[in-house]
Amino acid sequence: MLEGEKVTKHFGGLVALSEIDFEINRGEIVGLIGPNGSGKTTLFNVISGLYKPESGQIRFEGTLINGLPPYRIAQMGIGRTFQIVRPLMDLSLIQNVAIGVMYGRDDINTLPHALERASELLRFVGLESKAYLLPGKLALEDLKRLEIARALASKPEIILLDEVFAGLNQKEIEAAIALTFHIRDRFGITVFMIEHVMKAIMETCSRIMVLHHGEKIAEGEPQAVANDPRVIQAYLGAGYVGR
Amino acid sequence: MPSWPRSSLFAGAMIVLLALAIFPWLGAPVYFVSLLFTVFMYVCLATSWNLIGGYAGYLSFGHVAFFGIGAYTTALLVKGFHLSALETILSSVPAGFVAMLVALLVGYPCLRLRGPYFAVVTLCFAFVMDLLIKNLNFLGGPEGLWLKSMDLPIQTVRAILFEAMLGVTALSIAVAYWTDRSKFGAGLRAIREDEEVAQTMAINAPKLKMQAFALSAFFPGMAGGIYAYYLTYIHTDVVFDMMISILIVLMALFGGGGTLLGPIIGAVLLTLINEGLSTFVKAELARIIYGSLFVGVIIFLPNGIMEFFRRTQGESPH
Ligand SMILES: Nc1ncnc2c1ncn2[C@@H]1O[C@H](COP(=O)(O)OP(=O)(O)OP(=O)(O)O)[C@@H](O)[C@H]1O
Ligand SMILES: [Mg+2]
Repeated sequence: MLEGEKVTKHFGGLVALSEIDFEINRGEIVGLIGPNGSGKTTLFNVISGLYKPESGQIRFEGTLINGLPPYRIAQMGIGRTFQIVRPLMDLSLIQNVAIGVMYGRDDINTLPHALERASELLRFVGLESKAYLLPGKLALEDLKRLEIARALASKPEIILLDEVFAGLNQKEIEAAIALTFHIRDRFGITVFMIEHVMKAIMETCSRIMVLHHGEKIAEGEPQAVANDPRVIQAYLGAGYVGR
Repeated sequence: MPSWPRSSLFAGAMIVLLALAIFPWLGAPVYFVSLLFTVFMYVCLATSWNLIGGYAGYLSFGHVAFFGIGAYTTALLVKGFHLSALETILSSVPAGFVAMLVALLVGYPCLRLRGPYFAVVTLCFAFVMDLLIKNLNFLGGPEGLWLKSMDLPIQTVRAILFEAMLGVTALSIAVAYWTDRSKFGAGLRAIREDEEVAQTMAINAPKLKMQAFALSAFFPGMAGGIYAYYLTYIHTDVVFDMMISILIVLMALFGGGGTLLGPIIGAVLLTLINEGLSTFVKAELARIIYGSLFVGVIIFLPNGIMEFFRRTQGESPH
């Protein structure tokens, strides 16, 4: 449903993405991993329209989407979260989510209905007791959940999750894994997720892609990729392999 | 805001409106009628500005231009078509539309700029409009333009224009009330908080900003038209006075930007305080007191007076 062909993005002299090919099929949970600064978030920014790629093509359901403004891409059904959380600070959690509902692909346009739906979504991510607080009062884990609820509010076909498991403890990771499956199974939303927590990746993803210095160095089943010498080398530096 | 039932809110607003509407016919001195006229005018200007400046967070420092454009549109229509008194008052409607049209033309390039850049470019826009009109001879140029007053006693003339300004102000508040609780207003709030995030929430930010800017220019255009008839003489130094631009912003933020009541409270208080000071205190001293008051509120209530009510209620803003 979402495919990229030779997607390239530069920042000045830095090649953040170099001819990346990818394809996500409907109903999949696909992982995107790579060392810090390898270009993962940049790829999400390019897909969601915040950055324009220098070259390459991105198609959603067969339609070319690169170059479209972010709101058009969101309207077509691509939702996302932000690694560095970006709540609407002056608005309560339920308002954050309700605005997403009103402008989203659901046919809900009035505030009372949107608030109802928003409160369901907050319950789904475990924030119902904090619905009327301002985001400033929340811990980071909760703000990550808010990111998820807000992305779900638009009723996307596919959701791009950028490190929503970071900073969670063992128990919370279990809950987050269950949540990821729920997103797909209960809402029918395809998931493309960036993650550093290997446990989460191994348990949820049917397929993972690895970026390193803006290049895709591996792709495949989690187990195979985790044992790929190039991947190990990327994470641990040259010289480790074969020691 | 406390959420009263809609019907009692409406009834209350109607009673206030009616009481205000009767006021000029009760034989009050012209001075008070004029003072209230000025209060309405600023309430209308600050409330309209709030749509783009408060809700969407785009601080326009050029809003006086829309007021001035409205004033000149009415003056030109009167001159060109020899309008009757009633027609002159009604000409504030096309005056509003002309202001709106200009806002669309100016907003298209300017609303791509954010933060201080938008503030500066709107300020420049107002300067340019001022200079442009000053240098167009068919608009009176540096001499200004005269409008024929109504053939009625001054008391009656003032009362009639009072009603017209009250009407425009009530209309602008009604639109602000609707915005405050609509999907439109919610989208503007999201844009104010984080425009990129708003876009990823499927909000068509460019379109919404244009709509808010156009709407926020319409009522000042109408108010300008009525003001022109009220003064019977307009000059760019008066209707394009940069002080008005600044006052509008101050009033809205003083009361509380992005809230329904904030700009109303801010405009009423600041107009009355300004008037009181200039009557009872020397001009320089008045300005110092006025300035300190503003600084005080900004320091202690950075989100305006409405913040105080929020704090005492201890709930998140509506
Ligand atoms: N807006 C930007 N301007 C300039 N350089 C950028 C910008 N965004 C990202 N970069 C650079 O592009 C490279 C890839 O960054 P990106 O954020 O995509 O990495 P990442 O894989 O998400 O890393 P992390 O795991 O730390 O989140 C980095 O070198 C980063 O410094
Ligand atoms: Mg990242």
